[in-house]
Amino acid sequence: MLKKLLQALLVMLLVALLIFVMLRIVPGNPVAVLMGEHGNQETIDRMSKEMGLNEPVLTQFFRYIGNSLKGDFGTSISMGKPVGQLMAAAFGNTLILALGAALFAWVFGGICGIIAAAKKGKIPDHLFMGFSLLGISMPVFMVAMLLQYLFAYHLHWLPISGNDSWRSFILPAVALGWNSAGSIARLVRSTLLDTLEDDYIDTARAKGLGRMAVLFRHALRNAMLPIVTMMALQLSALLSGAVITETIFSINGIGRLAVQAIGSRDIPLLQGTALFTTALVILGNLAADGLYRVLDPRIRKGA
Amino acid sequence: MMQNRRIRRMAALLAAAVMMISMTGFAAADEAAPGELRLAISRDITTMDVAKTTDDYMIPMNVFDRLFETRPGENGAPAEVVKSLCSDYSVSADGLTYDFTLLDGVVFSNGSALTASDVQFSFERLLKIGNQNTDIPMEVAGSDAVMAKEAETLSGFTVKDDTHFSITLKTPNAGFPAELSSPAMSIADRETMTDGFGTEPAETIGSGPYIVTEWVSNDHYTLEYNPKYRGEAPSVKKVTAKVIPDANTQNLMFQNGELDLIDLRNQDGAVIQSIYKTMYADRMVSVPNVGMIFMILNEKQEYLQNVKVRKAIAMAIDRDTIIATLYNGDAKKENGIIPTGVWAHNNDLEGFNYDPEGAKALLQEAGYAPGQVQFEMSMDSTAAGTLQLVYQAISQMLEEAGINATVKTYDHAAWLEKRGSGAMDSFLGRWGMDYNDPANIMYTFFGTVDNSTHRSVNYPDTDVIARVAAASAIVDDAERMAEYQALEKKLIQEDAAWVSLLEDMHLYCRGERVKEFVPQWAGFTDLYVTDVTMNE
Repeated sequence: MLKKLLQALLVMLLVALLIFVMLRIVPGNPVAVLMGEHGNQETIDRMSKEMGLNEPVLTQFFRYIGNSLKGDFGTSISMGKPVGQLMAAAFGNTLILALGAALFAWVFGGICGIIAAAKKGKIPDHLFMGFSLLGISMPVFMVAMLLQYLFAYHLHWLPISGNDSWRSFILPAVALGWNSAGSIARLVRSTLLDTLEDDYIDTARAKGLGRMAVLFRHALRNAMLPIVTMMALQLSALLSGAVITETIFSINGIGRLAVQAIGSRDIPLLQGTALFTTALVILGNLAADGLYRVLDPRIRKGA
Repeated sequence: MMQNRRIRRMAALLAAAVMMISMTGFAAADEAAPGELRLAISRDITTMDVAKTTDDYMIPMNVFDRLFETRPGENGAPAEVVKSLCSDYSVSADGLTYDFTLLDGVVFSNGSALTASDVQFSFERLLKIGNQNTDIPMEVAGSDAVMAKEAETLSGFTVKDDTHFSITLKTPNAGFPAELSSPAMSIADRETMTDGFGTEPAETIGSGPYIVTEWVSNDHYTLEYNPKYRGEAPSVKKVTAKVIPDANTQNLMFQNGELDLIDLRNQDGAVIQSIYKTMYADRMVSVPNVGMIFMILNEKQEYLQNVKVRKAIAMAIDRDTIIATLYNGDAKKENGIIPTGVWAHNNDLEGFNYDPEGAKALLQEAGYAPGQVQFEMSMDSTAAGTLQLVYQAISQMLEEAGINATVKTYDHAAWLEKRGSGAMDSFLGRWGMDYNDPANIMYTFFGTVDNSTHRSVNYPDTDVIARVAAASAIVDDAERMAEYQALEKKLIQEDAAWVSLLEDMHLYCRGERVKEFVPQWAGFTDLYVTDVTMNE
């Protein structure tokens, strides 16, 4: 595990360097963007110097890493506030949104997959697999707009946008989790069907256990390994990939912050959000590895 | 049996959840308090401090006062500069020194008296920060020393007592009062202009009709009526401006009654036509964007340095078609540089009419075969949707006239860098007037060699550049207007140094709760909240 942690740290450092260098290679000065139409070259040059943007890239990089280790991610050029403060304010919303989306995907996708497996070849199977195909193939913006139109605009059940209350997160969570629900449903169905063909399932049936007991107590428990791994990976993807959902539903989250940073070429903010999402993905992978070890004793024992 | 019971239990749980959502959900739309105006903004403000922004003026316009204001003209008359904090002023015969008298008894929202030293501090602070909006205070004598941090105060700014002060300029500028009406020249309480000014609502204190009470980054800000405001109480008592980046979400919120006023600038033309002009036709409000959409042709470019080529380009563009098809008629043709609505605008100036055959003949005269003239039209990726279509339309129109203009899209930062280097072949630009004076646009593009280079115009006639710079110093209004119009004629008709296209309309739609709304005189997205009257 220690080896994996060290690998993760190395990946983080490399990603940080890559982001840092790439942001400085692409043409365009963040100060010029900040100054907009009224900027003159003299002021742009002076401010670039004041911000240390003219220094060698490696000097800037090591200073950035040093400050980051102390928890100082710099100050946003476009918003004039500490990057750490902006990310902390946004992360809470992203976390609620991602957890809500994951919960929806796991529960809804899981139920669909189980029913489809239990009713293989029958109407519920075709129905739920049709749903899951829809989930996988519909782009998130389309799901979001349809949900907004139906449940917020037409039925007035839920807010159109915002992050004022838990109700505001229902539609975005469903929109964001829709795609993952489709994948989970398909995976649950296929792994369950594989497991249901194993010998020990026949043994359980022969012992006179009911259909539900066989399905939940024996088949599902043993089919969980790939499903849980996928869930862990999905959670980190949901945490880092909510840009469109956050924009459509006006949620102040990490994704929207990143889009804003790209638009204004706000290097400190862009570095901060990029590193943060990288860390989330790496943590997601580590969590998946960890879960694998917990769920599968063979891996734990090094078999 | 057991299975059926489970299914029934799950169904009951599901029904309870739906009921709970629907019961609480019917109050989903935000209920507005009486006198509350609910707005949507497409992106969050970056600061409330005019020393650090030239874009985010909504809070400065409503929380601070200025010495002058520019007000929309009545019944289509041009906008006029009126006194605000300034109760009286006079200008010396040489046009250099202005003597001002402030209104008596003006207080900031924290109860402190507004004095001449607050005005001085606000001016000097722009220079000391040296970031944005330094152009106007740079006109004051002694500004270079303050900017260079060699002096603490402006030698050209003399405070006589709490309500009297004088400002001496480096060179005469008849447009100075108009410039002082720009939101950039907002006056704040010098005691509160410390570290938190512009970011912390409690430390952002002005004497305007509203107080900023809350600003949650990337979410919303709130303005509330300033009970210490010197004028009459406005109809709107509270403003909640929410950050709603998605145009479709804004659209749904307006139709759902969650917004009281919508700025249609970001809405698709088809949505405006099919929804707003159809369903809310009687609630539409429009105002010209006092400014210009124009085409810049870099005079250092191989082909564009030839005046005949530039004239041919101007003649090859069918502006009537662009206005009718891309702007749905919500725009008017412009021929000059000084836009309609600005006091020196020349309504009689003749531009280049659409004449593709004439354009081809001019190209032939210039010695170029069809397709030989080539250049790039650089497009900013953040350009509005309609402007992006104008790029495509113009490229196609030029191709029909035998000119090969390729549209290339750049990321905003890269676009700015290329334009700033003076190496951009051509681009379509939009200039909105910051204040009602022709210098605002003429000086920006043709006032100095640097200005001309920085915007990739590269206009070579230094005599004309010197005349543009000198025009703002002409004290006599009639003489000044004549000089600007003569310069404009030379730049447009003789040199084709600027291809005027159009001035578009800025459209808004009132919600049911808003009785009347008068947009800012130049069509800013930011508005004076006192110009909104609620029904209740």
